[in-house]
Order: sequence, then C-alpha cells, then structure tokens
Amino acid sequence: MEKTVVIKNEKGIHIRPAGEFVKTAGRFKSQVQIDFKGKKVNGKSVMILMSLGLKEGNEITIITDGEDAEEALKALVELVESGFGE
Amino acid sequence: MKITDLLSKETIILELEAKTKIEVLDELIDKLYSAGNIKDKEEFKKAIWRREELSTTGVGDGVAVPHAMSATVAKPSLAFGYSKEGIDFDSMDGQPAHIFFMIAGAESANNEHLDTVSKLSIILLNEEFREKVTKVKSKEELLSLIDEEDKKNSLEEENIEIEEKKSDKLILAVTACPTGIAHTYMAADSLRNKAKEIGVKVKVETNGSTGVKNRLTNEEIEAAEAIIVAADRQVEMERFEGKKVIIVPVSQAIKDPEGLLNSGLNGEGQIYQHKGGNKVASSAKHERTGFYKHLMSGVSNMLPFVVGGGILIAISFMFGIKAFDPKDPSFNSFAKLLMDIGGGSAFTLMVPVLAGFIGLSIADKPGFAPAMVGGFIAANNGAGFLGGLIAGFLGGYVVVFLKKLFSRLPESLEGIKPVLLYPLFGIFITGAIMLFLIVDPVKSMNLALQHWLSGMGATNRIILGIILGGMMAVDMGGPINKAAFTFGIAMIDAGNYAPHAAIMAGGMVPPLGIAIATTIFKNKFTRNERDAGKTCYVMGASFITEGAIPFAAADPARVIPSIIVGSAIAGGLTMLFNIGLPAPHGGLFVIPIVKGNPWFYILAILIGSLVTAFMLGALKKPVRE
Repeated sequence: MEKTVVIKNEKGIHIRPAGEFVKTAGRFKSQVQIDFKGKKVNGKSVMILMSLGLKEGNEITIITDGEDAEEALKALVELVESGFGE
Repeated sequence: MKITDLLSKETIILELEAKTKIEVLDELIDKLYSAGNIKDKEEFKKAIWRREELSTTGVGDGVAVPHAMSATVAKPSLAFGYSKEGIDFDSMDGQPAHIFFMIAGAESANNEHLDTVSKLSIILLNEEFREKVTKVKSKEELLSLIDEEDKKNSLEEENIEIEEKKSDKLILAVTACPTGIAHTYMAADSLRNKAKEIGVKVKVETNGSTGVKNRLTNEEIEAAEAIIVAADRQVEMERFEGKKVIIVPVSQAIKDPEGLLNSGLNGEGQIYQHKGGNKVASSAKHERTGFYKHLMSGVSNMLPFVVGGGILIAISFMFGIKAFDPKDPSFNSFAKLLMDIGGGSAFTLMVPVLAGFIGLSIADKPGFAPAMVGGFIAANNGAGFLGGLIAGFLGGYVVVFLKKLFSRLPESLEGIKPVLLYPLFGIFITGAIMLFLIVDPVKSMNLALQHWLSGMGATNRIILGIILGGMMAVDMGGPINKAAFTFGIAMIDAGNYAPHAAIMAGGMVPPLGIAIATTIFKNKFTRNERDAGKTCYVMGASFITEGAIPFAAADPARVIPSIIVGSAIAGGLTMLFNIGLPAPHGGLFVIPIVKGNPWFYILAILIGSLVTAFMLGALKKPVRE
C-alpha cells in the first residue's frame, strides 16, 4: 500500500519528527519504506530518515507492506500531514 | 560546509570517562567550553537539556547527537566523544550509545545546526563507518576518516541532483567585458559551472578580445527559454528580437550565476524589441548606464591599436629617441620602420577608432561613420584623445537625433536612410560641429593639461602617482581601473609619459603582491589559493590586474586594502623616481624601454608588491587544512 504526501514542517524532518515517525512506524508489524526522489529507504530507522535531509515542500511516498499495512499507512500519513505537531 | 570545518582536535574525546547520560553531556560541554567555543557552560547545559526533554537525541544504532542553539555559542562547532562500554542514553532503540556528537549552534542560525545533524546522520548511517570510528587511534585519524566519508557523500548528492535535471529548458548567455581578457571568460565559466551543478542546459557565447567564441545559432536562440546578456559593452542584440532577455553587468554573472539562471528559468526578463539603436529592453536597475557602456565599447575596440602601436613605438625609442628620423645621427632604418607602423599608422588610428566605436555603440551601424570621421578630425586638429571621445558621443547622438527626425518619412524611403541620409547628414553635421565648435577649445584644454602636468611640483606629481596607482587596485579591471588606464593613455597621446608609468606599476602590484604573499605566508592560504598565487606571478608580470580578482572576491576586507596601499605606494614611488612609460601595456616586457632608470621602476613595483604581501600576511589568519 502506498501514498504520496508533502512535508509540511517548516524546519523539515530533523531528529524530533524523524523520531516521531519511527516511533509510530514501530507500532506496526508491517515493513515501512520511504520513497524520496526514486530512492527507497527503510522508514523505521531514525538516522536513515534524517539522512534524507527532507525539507518543507519535499514529496515522499510512504510504502507499507504487511498484515497491518492499511492502519500503518493511515497513521503515518496523518502524522506527516499534521506537520508532526510542530 | 564540511563536518571537519566544525570539528577540531580540541573538541575530540577519544575515550570518554563518563558513565551516565548526565556525565557524558557534562564532559562534552566542558570540552566545548575549554576550547572557547561556548562562553557560558550553565546556559548551554540548560539548552542541551531542554532539547533532551523534548525527545531523546539517542537515535539508535549506538549513536547520540545532543544539540542546542544558544546565544552563548561563540563559534558554531561540534564535539565528539566515544565510549567503549556504552552509556544508557534513553535511545529510541533501547540500546546503549557509544558514539556521541554534540552540536553547538549559534543563535538565530536559522537552524543551520539541524543541517549539520542531517549531515552527521548520513555518514553515521554506514555501519562500516561506525566500525571504523570505534577503531581510530588518534584525533587526526578520526578527522581524516570523517572527511573522507563526508566527501564521498557530497559527491553522491551532486550526482543525484544532476541526474534529476532541474529542467529541460535551454538558457543561453552572452558575456562581454570591455577588455575581453578576463571577466568575459570568468563570467562564462561561472555560468557554465553553476548550470552543471544545478542541472540546467546552458550555452554561453563569449565576446572576448580574440573575437566571438561559441556563437549562438539561430536555432538555439529560437529554442531558448531566455537569454542572459552579461555585458559591460555592446553586443549584437538584433538576433534576440522577440525573445526574453535579461541584461546585467558582467560582474553579476560572476557573483550570482544561480540567481541569473533561475531568473531565466522562471521567465523573468523582458521581451526584446530591436528598434535600431534604442535598446528598449533593459532591466533598468541592472543595466550599466549608457555612458559607461558606450565608452567601454570605444575603449575596448581601440585597445589593440594602442597596445600594438604603442609597443612598436616604444621599441623604436629603444634605438634612440630620434632613431626614426633620417636626419638624426642616431638614425636606424628598422627604428623608422617601427615608428612608421606603430606611430604613423596604428597609433594614428587610435582616436578615430575610439570615436567610431562609441558612435556605433550609441546608434548602431549608422552611428559608426559620422563618429569616426569626427574622431579623425579631432586627431588631425590637435584635439587628441579628449576630442575623439567627444566626437564619438557627438556622432552617435547626432545620428540618434537624425533617426528621430527622419522617422516621419514615408516607408518607401526607409531603404535610403542608412545608405544616403544618415551618412550624408551625419558626417556633415558631426564634422561641422567638430571643426567649428570643438577642436579649438579642446586643443587649448589639452595644452593647458599638458602644461599643468609638466609644471606640476614634485610633491603634487607624487600625490598624482599615489592616486593613479591606488585607482588601479580599487576595482581591478572595473570602471575606476579603466578610468585611470584611459587617462594614462590619453596622457601618452599628449606626450606625457609619467602618469601611465604610475598606472602600470599600480596595475602590476595586486597580482604580484598576492603571489608573494601566498609564497611567503604559506600557512595563511589554502592549497588552491597557493596554486592560483603562482599564476599571479605571470599575471602581475604581464600587467593583468584581473588576476587578483578571485582573491579579492573571496576575502575583500583584507585583500582590497592591502592591494590599494601597495599599488598607491608603487605609483607614488614611480613619480618620485621620475619614470615615464611610453608604452600603454606590456608589463615586464616594456620595462626596459621606460624613460628614467628601469631598475628604479622595478624597485618601485617590488616595494609596492612587498607592502601588499606583508599587509596581507599580517591581516590574514592561518588556515586550518
């Protein structure tokens, strides 16, 4: 399952939002991946997320795969679109 | 910015003593404090803990990146710490942390420190890298390890960016500076390199002293999104009819290529309408004022005549001041040949050519003939350089006036305007005004100027030398430099050789002074700068002041005062030593033919260069490499 979202955070994805994302993703059994500019990375590692250097306005595709793929995707999309509460 | 720009030996702890989270943060903060990077330990500690309370910076995989922005941070920097046993940092993966990077960011650094965190994550991602870090035996090893990894990543980043290609749009550019030696090509390179970096298709045509290279074809112009014209003198504009053009000074292409390329992509710039002489499309704020552009067109086309002719004359003088004169005992037929070619032919054309191209710049082709005729009249009637200058503007604007006057004629007569009307009336009016109104007053002015200069007391001459010398260094090839240079040439034409001697000395000092500085004060310049410094020896010897520009651009506050002082001193000394330079250009190669003692001339230049070199050496701080 997958969905494309836009990063809304003014400061981009630094440690705190990355941590939030990984925490949320960690709640689910499914595999989580982020596709950014054609590069697919593991969405459950904070450092990997931070290393993408995502900034406000960047587009990413969240890809989930597994038994709870749907809930996982929903939760993560909501998190990104809410701007990670910043 | 490289990670190793922020991390130094003073802030590296190869073996942490701390055993708990509180202890490790304290140990790192202490290190930053003793290195002088933060001013207030307690304030910074509070900021670090505020961040930890938001959420832990233990990101897992054995890594922690505590960070904070604070007003007490004197210097944005990094501290490193390694713990073999591991410390419970409340990490996101529940594991102990072994590798610590503390980031101290300056206040209101618009979260630059977060970019640093990002960069760190990129290299820390790599398990192999983390392994290597745990095995380093010295601080230097750690620094070079980080540097290597950092470099690998930034190359990758660039490649990805290029592949992604910002756009398929084609941007064209034309660059042209007055002398056509340096700035033209520097601007072209600047645009090309930046375009490659951000992935934009670009083609740059250069209008240099040797002619037009990489001429833009009609197909390319047709297909282009926009055309950037970075010029300080006239370039062919008719071919851009109907296209979006962005007209800016050459220096802007050197300083802000990215801005220009982006403007082109975004469709900024005005549609160009070629109305024979009226450059309607001009981004008014940015375009060089007309006067300067016209003047520079004239000067840049006149230069080859001046340089070639002038040096030939000077060489003829080497045989003896009157060696060209058959009636003189020192007669030498080769000297006469040189003088006939240089003085009789090349130099004589100098003033009409100057005038002609000024007129061309103002009014396009129709302006060329009237202005050139005006210039010839000036030269033949003692009005010299100044007269030629006036003739150029006079001829140009007479034709502009004629164009307006005849614009009301029926369409059918359009064809005979350039063939008959403009030449006939243009030449007549310009010539008449020159002969009746201009030449006599200007001739008197010239004589007065000459008397004033030759009658100048020694002190005043030295002051003049100081001013002229300094002017050469102020903008190295820019308008002030050109004004002094043009003044010098005018003086040579009038028979006064002293000013130009000061001018050439002042123009050789900046690159020479910088070259000497990079050789003596090796530790204050980067590798690239030291290499560039070597070419500055050649530039300085050839009187190409522009060689100093990259250094001045990189560090204006230190470089510009140093070169101005050195150049001014060289100029003043030249006057003090009574040196006269009959050649307009040539650097080292024309020193043998100066009037006065060439060794003293060399001394003047050398002293000026050494002053610049030592000033730079004193002002510059050691570079850490």
